[in-house]
Order: sequence, then C-alpha cells, then structure tokens
Amino acid sequence: VRLCRCRCRALLSRPAGAVRERRGLAAGPEMHFGFQTVTEEERREKIYQVFENVAKKYDVMNDSMTLGIHRVWKDILMHKMNPCPGTLLLDVAGGTGDIAFRFINYVRSVRQRQLQRKLKHHQNLSWQEIFESYQKNKFNSLGDSQVVVCDINREMLKVGKQKAQHLGYSEGLSWVLGNAEELPFDDDKFDVYTIAFGIRNVTRIDLALQEAYRVLKPGGRFLCLEFSHVSNPLLSRLYDLYSFQVIPVLGEVIAGDWRSYQYLVESIRQFPPQEELKAMIEDAGFFKVDYENLNFGIVAIHSGFKL
Amino acid sequence: GTAYCRHCHRQQGSGSGSGSGSGSGSARPEPLEPSLLRFLVCPLSKRPLRYEEATNELINEELGIAYPIIDGIPNMVPEAARRTHKKPPAEGSEQP
Repeated sequence: VRLCRCRCRALLSRPAGAVRERRGLAAGPEMHFGFQTVTEEERREKIYQVFENVAKKYDVMNDSMTLGIHRVWKDILMHKMNPCPGTLLLDVAGGTGDIAFRFINYVRSVRQRQLQRKLKHHQNLSWQEIFESYQKNKFNSLGDSQVVVCDINREMLKVGKQKAQHLGYSEGLSWVLGNAEELPFDDDKFDVYTIAFGIRNVTRIDLALQEAYRVLKPGGRFLCLEFSHVSNPLLSRLYDLYSFQVIPVLGEVIAGDWRSYQYLVESIRQFPPQEELKAMIEDAGFFKVDYENLNFGIVAIHSGFKL
Repeated sequence: GTAYCRHCHRQQGSGSGSGSGSGSGSARPEPLEPSLLRFLVCPLSKRPLRYEEATNELINEELGIAYPIIDGIPNMVPEAARRTHKKPPAEGSEQP
C-alpha cells in the first residue's frame, strides 16, 4: 500500500516537516488570492485549481485577452535573452511551452546562420571530413542547447507536451513537474532562468527567487516577464476598465470559467510594482538588476545576473 | 472505495501497481529523458537520485523516498513521493 502524501494532508508527516518550521510558517498566515484573503495552503490549492481549469484553453485565452500581443511580449523576452547555441535554459512555470518553443526556434536559427558561415569557408571538404561530420553530428541543429520546462501543474504540462508533439519539438526539450519554491535541480546548473507570467502565482516569491539564484551558473541570467503596474493615470483607468469588465467575461464565454479570470486580473493588481520586484530580486543576491516596461508598464521584463 | 488525490494523481488504499492510471493496453511506462538525470536532484535534500527502471521512479536512498515518473514527466514534488521502506507495513496500518 502506498502512502499518498497529498498536500491536503498532515504536512508534518513530510520528512521536510522541519523545513517548514525553519521557514517560520505558522498554521496559516494570511495571504491574498486575488482580492480575497486566504491562508497560504488555501492559496496554493486555489491557484492549482485555476490552472487545472484553464489549461486546455490557456493559449486561446491568452490570445483573446491580450489580442495576440502576449506573443510579441514573449518574442521580446527571447530577443532580450539572445541565447547562443549551447545555452541551458530552465523555464519555470513554463506550462504550455511558449517560451521553450521560442527558445528552440531562436537557437536553431542562430545555429543555421553559424553553419552557413562555416560552410562558406569549407567549400572543399574531403570525403573523410564529410564522413566525420555525419559521425560526430557536427551539424546538430540545436548546437547542444537544451530547455527544461518546470511547472507545478500537471494539466499545464500535459497541454505543453501535446503541443510539442503536435508542432514537432522533441530534441533538447524536457518536462519536469516541480515547485518553483523548491526546485528539483542541482546548484549552478543553468545559463538562463525564465519565468513568464508565472511568478505572480507563486506563493513565496522570495523562495522562488532564492531557488532561481541557486540553480543558475555564476554568470547566469534571471529573466522575469510579468504583468506590472501602469503609472500613467489615464491609461491605468482604461486598463482597469478592460481588465475588470472585459476579461472575466471573455473567460466565461471562451473557457466557461469567469472566476479563474477574475482571479487573474485581481492577482495582477496585488503583485508588487516594478521597483519593489526589483528590490526583491536584488535581495535574492542578483546583480545588475533592471527592468524594461512594455506597453507603458502593463508588462515588465526584469533581469538580473548571478555574478 | 479509493480516494483520488488530485495533486499527485495517486489512488489511495487500493495497493494497485503503478500510478499511471490508464488501465487499457499494456504500455510500458514512457521512459525518462536521459539528459534530465544530469540536472535532477531531490527537491528536499538537493542530493542526487537514482533512476530505478523497474518501477520507473527516481529514488533518494538517503531519505528513503521515491518520486514517480508519470507519462515521462518526473513528478518532483515531495507530496508525490512514497517511502521506500523495505519492511512491508502491517495490513491497514497506513490507511489514512
């Protein structure tokens, strides 16, 4: 008989019961779930449920809510990252794979250009050299780049994996179910850590940032793409109007789930603004922390380095 | 009856075999991506894991726990891990 260690059950039975105490967590500190006040446990539960419900319609909803602009934001993130072939990326809360696929496309095209340049200089290969190139897979299309997608939600990962199969992504891509606050990865392993539209849903952001720092190699880069705060008052009013009047309705019409999208827009308001998040990232040990506003602060990309 | 835990998709109390859930068709469980073993450690102790092909699990010998691999995706949250005690538990003693 297997013991099912469901989170709903006595957490003290976990071998890491001591870990929880060290974190100084009481039975239930009050936290926000959107505009509601809930305990930490309830928050995790509710957020898990939100993404379980929306997983299948996640991409459609992203397109509808942002009028497709989320694709541009993610493209900008990738251009900012500017990965070269051989990069090891950890994409946390990467569920449906948007960032991972973009990464693969990007390094593939960089690799293509590299190989073309190489071939220009190697017009007269001997048969021996050609034979060797097939052996060593010297022309491997990704140049040993790899992306690991980590998400806490099984449904989101399932959707991501199916998408990958459908779109033909297999090489250099792997999927792990894990918690951003307690990553199952060894220290100093990754070149880049990304978290796109995920950190808002993490219950202990400080822990997630510490884990990000831990798993990055020295010289590694932290990149966070997330909804942020609009300072322009007029724009802010319009944004609020759109968020609270249109998005939950879209959620109901498209995904049959008004509440989850209500949570979404509320959680954006509860999330720390640009400067505060910058300070939190610095607290985790990152250097040269900076952010770039997109669309007047509707979205921001925060970046930091482990030096 | 058997309770169903949503988080780790495990059936409690039935003592049935692997937790992959699908009854139909033999289907060897999807193997783990080998390159992942380079990166994966136990989320609790951050110590290395051993891949056990027979049960398709990642085992932390020190803590005596095993993380399942479901549909090729390793389930690396402590809640999903099971204890790997050699001594079989007394009948019904571990029922929740």
